[in-house]
Amino acid sequence: MRLIVFLFLLNSFFGFSNTIEVCSSCAVSTITEGVALAVDGDTVLVKSGIYKEHNIGVDKEIYLLGEDNPVVDGEYKGYVFILNANNFTLEGFTIQNVEQSYTKDYSAVRVLSSKYFTIKNNILKNVFFGFMIEKSKFGLITGNTVSSHAKEEASSGNGIHIWHCSDMRIEKNHLSHLRDGLYFEFVSESFISNNTSENNLRYGLHFMFSNNNEYHHNEFRDNGAGVAVMFSKFIIMHHNTFHFNWGTASYGLLLKEIYDAEIHHNYFEQNTIGINIDGCTRMNYQNNHFVRNGWAIKFTGGCYSNVFNYNNFMSNSFNLSYNSRINDNKFEANYWSDYTGYDLDRDGIGDVPYRPVKLFSYVVNQTPETIILLRSLFVDLINFSEKVSPIFTPEGLVDEKPIMHEIHDKY
Amino acid sequence: MKNIFLSIVFLLIILPSCKVEPTPIGYGQDHCHFCDMTVVDKSHAAQYTTKKGKSYSFDAIECMARQLINDNSEEKMEFIQVANFAEPGNLIDARTATFLVSDKIKSPMGENLSAFNDAKIAQKHLEEFGGKLYTWAEIKAKLSK
Repeated sequence: MRLIVFLFLLNSFFGFSNTIEVCSSCAVSTITEGVALAVDGDTVLVKSGIYKEHNIGVDKEIYLLGEDNPVVDGEYKGYVFILNANNFTLEGFTIQNVEQSYTKDYSAVRVLSSKYFTIKNNILKNVFFGFMIEKSKFGLITGNTVSSHAKEEASSGNGIHIWHCSDMRIEKNHLSHLRDGLYFEFVSESFISNNTSENNLRYGLHFMFSNNNEYHHNEFRDNGAGVAVMFSKFIIMHHNTFHFNWGTASYGLLLKEIYDAEIHHNYFEQNTIGINIDGCTRMNYQNNHFVRNGWAIKFTGGCYSNVFNYNNFMSNSFNLSYNSRINDNKFEANYWSDYTGYDLDRDGIGDVPYRPVKLFSYVVNQTPETIILLRSLFVDLINFSEKVSPIFTPEGLVDEKPIMHEIHDKY
Repeated sequence: MKNIFLSIVFLLIILPSCKVEPTPIGYGQDHCHFCDMTVVDKSHAAQYTTKKGKSYSFDAIECMARQLINDNSEEKMEFIQVANFAEPGNLIDARTATFLVSDKIKSPMGENLSAFNDAKIAQKHLEEFGGKLYTWAEIKAKLSK
């Protein structure tokens, strides 16, 4: 027994892993040198200071730890870290000044063909691309702050760009002043949660060709065009907040060619268009809140079998805009703040069906400039006449059971 | 007489503005006519201009090719232009360009497709990045599959 304890202690004192300290006055004064000395399982501890290094290649299973936020300055020369290893951790660094390029996606941290890695609590400033993760699996990216000074979309990069990966977790990051905050391209089985993406030039979050992913509890604010989810299947989006995406072609959420998605408990506030739906099929929208948007929902392409239940539509200029006379989408049991019907049997469900499409929204679709007439008496008149005898709006596009009171449901 | 003179002057002013010309792409403002994404990538953007003079921008060459294939509308176009990868922001005629599909050069819509004005420069990129060279007709054939 004693022997075992002794061996255990021996192991903990003279363990197999070493710590290599890096600081300006240490024997090892650069990170590159520290990484070169390390073997699998070692810790490279970088003390605070400024390290002017770029293209730091890491191909070992090591723990790169920054103490008191050491600054790694790329001096606008290529990448800063290039990691190509399994089981590594990169933690606690401030990485800044990454080169811009039209042809190469220079990034502060580039991860290539890696598995089981963690990147946490780093601060990335003035970057071109922040994290560029390629062909990797089982990665966790958490607690990072990425920002840049993007002024022009063409000369700026994305915060977290994930390409051809699977099983990734992106949590609690803050992304601002980039082109796209988060970009998923050919990514599957991944989770995005509790991130904030704001003031980005293009999209807060951008999904392309990425199936079977889930994003929840994120906040997307003041982005150029909101969030875009395109050409993907089986995406679950819930408990996200999309707000203040204002502009002529701006929206909270753009859905393009999406199939079998679940969208529930999201909050859409003050966007020009809450959700722009284009070519989406078999989608469920439940318990979402649409508050003070220009258009809460705008259908722009062939959309089939979309179901809307228990959503709150409050004070939107248009609740719904529709582009065709055929309807295969179902609206039932939603709360519409401009519903003027009554509930004589007091079961909480309005006795008169609600028609969410106003005739004027067709006029605006055809001639956008007519929007200045929005609050005029004439427009109220044509909307009213259409409501009484529908001619232009699709016959079946009604909520047969509009709910009388706002749905109080935690979003 | 004076009236005739004035109307000739007026016509001279009016006529040149009827010429069909491509409208410069508003990077960061224009939306792709095919996929609705904001056009940002100066090295992969594309644009066609109809014979009537209306220009449509695309965020990627593959988007424009797909739109042309879907509408079968290539004959209606006065200009079909693609970004020159070697010279970002500069548009060249798609019908005479050389195209490179290479895994190492990502394009906005996932086809890894870029265009070059000069076949020699395209060859140079092919040697550096790998992949395969195509002509405009071949690209359309590849994308219409």
